[in-house]
Amino acid sequence: MPAALKRLPLYVVFALLGAVFLFPFVLMALGSFQKVGRAIADPLFWIPDEPTLYNFNYIFEASNFARWIGNSLFLTLVPVAAQLFLAGLLGYIFAKKRFFGRETIFWLLMAVVMVPNQLLIIPKFIMFSKFGWVNTYASIIVPELWSIMGVFLVRQFMLTIPNDMEEAAYIDGAGDFRVFFQIMLPLAKPALATVGTFAFISCWNDLFTPLIFLTAEKMYPITVGLSSLLTKEGNFGIEMAGAVLSFIPTFLIFLFFQRYFTEGIAMSGIKS
Amino acid sequence: MKAYATADTANVSAKPGLAARLKKEWRKNAFVYVVLVPVLLHFLVFQAFPLGFSFVLSFMDWPIIGKAEFAGFKNWETFLHDRLAWKSIGNTLLFSLYYILPTMGIGLLLALLVSVRSKLAGFFKSVYFVPVVTSFVVISGIWAWIFKGNDTGIFNYVLSWFGIGPQLFFSDSKQAMIVLASLSVFKVCGSTMVYYYAGLKSIPAHLYEAAKIDGASGWTMFWRITFVLLLPIHFYVAIFTTIGSFQIFDSAFLLTSGGPNYATTTIVYYLYQEGFVGLRMGYASVLAYVLFFIVLILSLVQRKFLGKEVHY
Repeated sequence: MPAALKRLPLYVVFALLGAVFLFPFVLMALGSFQKVGRAIADPLFWIPDEPTLYNFNYIFEASNFARWIGNSLFLTLVPVAAQLFLAGLLGYIFAKKRFFGRETIFWLLMAVVMVPNQLLIIPKFIMFSKFGWVNTYASIIVPELWSIMGVFLVRQFMLTIPNDMEEAAYIDGAGDFRVFFQIMLPLAKPALATVGTFAFISCWNDLFTPLIFLTAEKMYPITVGLSSLLTKEGNFGIEMAGAVLSFIPTFLIFLFFQRYFTEGIAMSGIKS
Repeated sequence: MKAYATADTANVSAKPGLAARLKKEWRKNAFVYVVLVPVLLHFLVFQAFPLGFSFVLSFMDWPIIGKAEFAGFKNWETFLHDRLAWKSIGNTLLFSLYYILPTMGIGLLLALLVSVRSKLAGFFKSVYFVPVVTSFVVISGIWAWIFKGNDTGIFNYVLSWFGIGPQLFFSDSKQAMIVLASLSVFKVCGSTMVYYYAGLKSIPAHLYEAAKIDGASGWTMFWRITFVLLLPIHFYVAIFTTIGSFQIFDSAFLLTSGGPNYATTTIVYYLYQEGFVGLRMGYASVLAYVLFFIVLILSLVQRKFLGKEVHY
């Protein structure tokens, strides 16, 4: 009993902070079921007394929301798949293969991490105008096909894997592709899970890039779509319904891959 | 790329035996080259070329419609005399001031809290992390209603419990940046928590045991052991929050459109306005380079200091 009592202040702090962190999400979730036209003059306007699905119906009927979700899925899943594959492949090459200029090439690629996206986007806009890529999926997907941070994470991970298995496979006559797919890729799963999680969240949540390259409403991903909804509607329930829909996929990814997320943050920060 | 240049010239001079050596190298590493060549081409087109091109752009007049012309140092000179550009840098610094220390402090506090041995700790660690995976657009949408600038706003309602009258928040040029910073603190302190958490786990327990035997209080142990040994983490977190703060755009775009009276026009927001609303690509490139220099210097500082190991 005294031990439990001693812990009480701790639990109170946990709960209070938890409430602060969860409140915005509770507001969003409850608000999405709020009736349109509910008097906004009350500070508790976000609590629905008659929950309704009207906001969700409205969003799908009055805006291109379904299309935006589809766009976001496409603009996220293709880069995530490509980045996973290439992070694995390049991570393997830079960790295990011996070839001329390996370190030079790797650190040259790494140096560009310091270049902010906002610097490259101006020349890319001019280039993509010439390519005819403005308002196409290619403008978002093609530059994101691989990312050096993902390669870095997998490389660091593979450096810690001993060479025995790989060498044994080569002696048994396995080719490069087989060694990569059947031995190295499965071993690198934790690192790849981290890469995939990071890539998903950053692609899904990106506003700046699609804001510039995708100006036709039909091409919007959910971030740009939702931001247009926020400025256009000014209607609490509808905005929150949109927010809920764009939050759900990232939340699901978080629920299932949380471990890789936090491990990846620690891995990229502490061991670099 | 160097590798290919030397390989090519070597091929042309074709010393005896070299062709054979290249052939051997190809047989050994064909796999590497088949993968690497397209990736390096991609790197050239989408990273290296734009980097150089934007530098050239900063010396050009480049409207999207119409002819591009060489402008010399005109854009750079304009920048030096552009009061709004300097204001945007000042605003960004102000944002950093409101954002960096709270994000670090709260992150450290949360990390200390969730490293307590308790069944609930893991659950709350997840709770504090949720904003990190949530987009700026979603949180901005919520923030707009929490910080509504009249007496029906939720935060104003909370303030009224303490006898504080309704605040304007987004339409007050002094408060707007603070509210935007609060949004970023909320969104990012979960990731600083994770860094600090990893740092705390790496501090050997025997140090605390020794200090306890010497009769040190919890407070002393925190400042003399924990805080000091977390130095590399403090440094890393300080750098990445600083770099992040210089790139702040989403919330200023969504919630205040740079206003009121340009009080939340950050460097990137101004760059966006100049480049993609005003279509002055040359001038926007100057602003982008200013941003790049700041980020570059910070990254180099990080490189220099992060190499240092702390010995326990």
